[in-house]
Amino acid sequence: MMGRVLTAYGVEVTKALRQRFTALGPALVILAVLGALPVHPVARDGVSDYAFVAYVIPVALNSLGLLLLLVYCAGLVSGEVADGSIRQTLVRPILRHEYILAKLLLGMSYAVLLTLTAVITAWGIAYIFGEMRGVSFGGDLVFADNEMLATGALATLAGLAPQFAAVAFAIMVSTFTRNGATATGVTVGLWVLVDLVKYPLGMAPFVFTTYLEMPWQVFSNRCEAVDAYWQPMLYYCLACSGGTFLVCSLVAIVVFHRRNFPA
Amino acid sequence: MAVCISLNKVSKCYGSAVAVSGLTLEAKRGEVLGLLGPNGAGKSTTLHMLCGLVRPTSGAISIFGKDLRSGFVAIASRMGVLVERPAFHDYLSVRRNLLIQARLARHSVNVERLLNLVGMARLSHAKVRSLSQGQRQRLGLAQAMLTEPELLILDEPTSGLDVESTEEVLRMLRRLADDAGVTIVFSSHLMHEVEVLCDRVAILNEGDLIACEKTDDLLSFDLTRVEVLVDGVEGASKRLKDQPWVSSVSIKGGRLHVTLKEPNTHQLIHYLVTAGYQISGVLPRRRTLKDYFLKVMNR
Repeated sequence: MMGRVLTAYGVEVTKALRQRFTALGPALVILAVLGALPVHPVARDGVSDYAFVAYVIPVALNSLGLLLLLVYCAGLVSGEVADGSIRQTLVRPILRHEYILAKLLLGMSYAVLLTLTAVITAWGIAYIFGEMRGVSFGGDLVFADNEMLATGALATLAGLAPQFAAVAFAIMVSTFTRNGATATGVTVGLWVLVDLVKYPLGMAPFVFTTYLEMPWQVFSNRCEAVDAYWQPMLYYCLACSGGTFLVCSLVAIVVFHRRNFPA
Repeated sequence: MAVCISLNKVSKCYGSAVAVSGLTLEAKRGEVLGLLGPNGAGKSTTLHMLCGLVRPTSGAISIFGKDLRSGFVAIASRMGVLVERPAFHDYLSVRRNLLIQARLARHSVNVERLLNLVGMARLSHAKVRSLSQGQRQRLGLAQAMLTEPELLILDEPTSGLDVESTEEVLRMLRRLADDAGVTIVFSSHLMHEVEVLCDRVAILNEGDLIACEKTDDLLSFDLTRVEVLVDGVEGASKRLKDQPWVSSVSIKGGRLHVTLKEPNTHQLIHYLVTAGYQISGVLPRRRTLKDYFLKVMNR
């Protein structure tokens, strides 16, 4: 089975590399990071550089990046249903859940691509225009540069968990719908709705979107020389995101299994 | 011949609408089976169920002796499918589309040879979005034959093709069945195609199988309907109209078209010769699929 999933994933990557939207996402993320420079300039003062990274990455990833990710993933299945090309794939020796797993892998790869684009661009700018020698307070070095790098790396990794959940959520909606535009509308609409009602209904701790910015919050605190702890929020983030990812993936597979693809 | 496809009491319902109802049908290896029927008869749904795109509501489908559901991967690797109005990844080239399909099928492919076969060699690097409907259909045929399949499922394979290409495709399919023993199941609205290509014809109407016959049996001579080349056509016509064993007589193109109540051609010839007419030919009319189709549809 894994062989067929990886083959299908390879095919998905080949297709993705030839689609304009795939390149548009990272390009827009780079522009968003660059666009943040006037708002949050970087200077060689040992403070603004880390602060720039802490500011720009969540902004680039959790607003624009997330929207791009949702739009991209919402069209992965529904787009092929709409244009009919899915029928050429499903008559090949590949099972439907393997097709969905390949799509999930592609969506996750896109999330990694957007994240790495934002992180590398932000850190690159900070290193070029700033003076990254760690975070000091009152003349004392509180966090060395390698500690900040490690925190940034962990935030990057932890930040992928809710994004993977978002991928599974968008692909789940994509399996319900018949075209990319509807899938995108429903995905973004549901996302906004959940974000609006999660606090009034008291379900925020159980919704993975609550934890989107959490990983970078620790980094942000450390930029201000305030020690912050990963636990227990990181566990909540991983548990909620992991749970959402599993549930949405399973629903996507079950729904897709039951669908018919007539002319 | 071993059975290649077996449908056992297969039904498909969309809500309260019945697309296919209790269909039981077999196709033997190397056989060409045509599905005929008016729009909404259930032809495409049947083909879609055979290739796994549509799940039957009830019944069992087995292909190559394996249950379609549990043995799909093994079956699909030996099967080629052309769906009606085939869609491709429009942003990719013809060549890339075929390579992607071959990769999914885990089958090596000689793209140039395949494109040559369907007359598209010069379009190898063209984007699919630039292809005409006929070219897309040819590409659909190419990708159906990509894995050198033992079974071809074709939904309206000549749709959008010009007359010359249609004949070419029909000849190619017949060759595949005769020389390579490929089983072909296909649907069409065109009686001529079915007559030329099929070993057996199944006629569907409103989801039911209403007839399934060998094409050779259907296209035999009808000895009750004869054309007679005779001198004095007008006179012969008048005389024949009075005979109790004649149903109808008409003159078309200088020939007598006679419909007899019983297949007694010798009686007709004897009568005309005795009456002093000179007969230069008696041609029994060959039955057509259209005759048969209309007969079973009006039953």
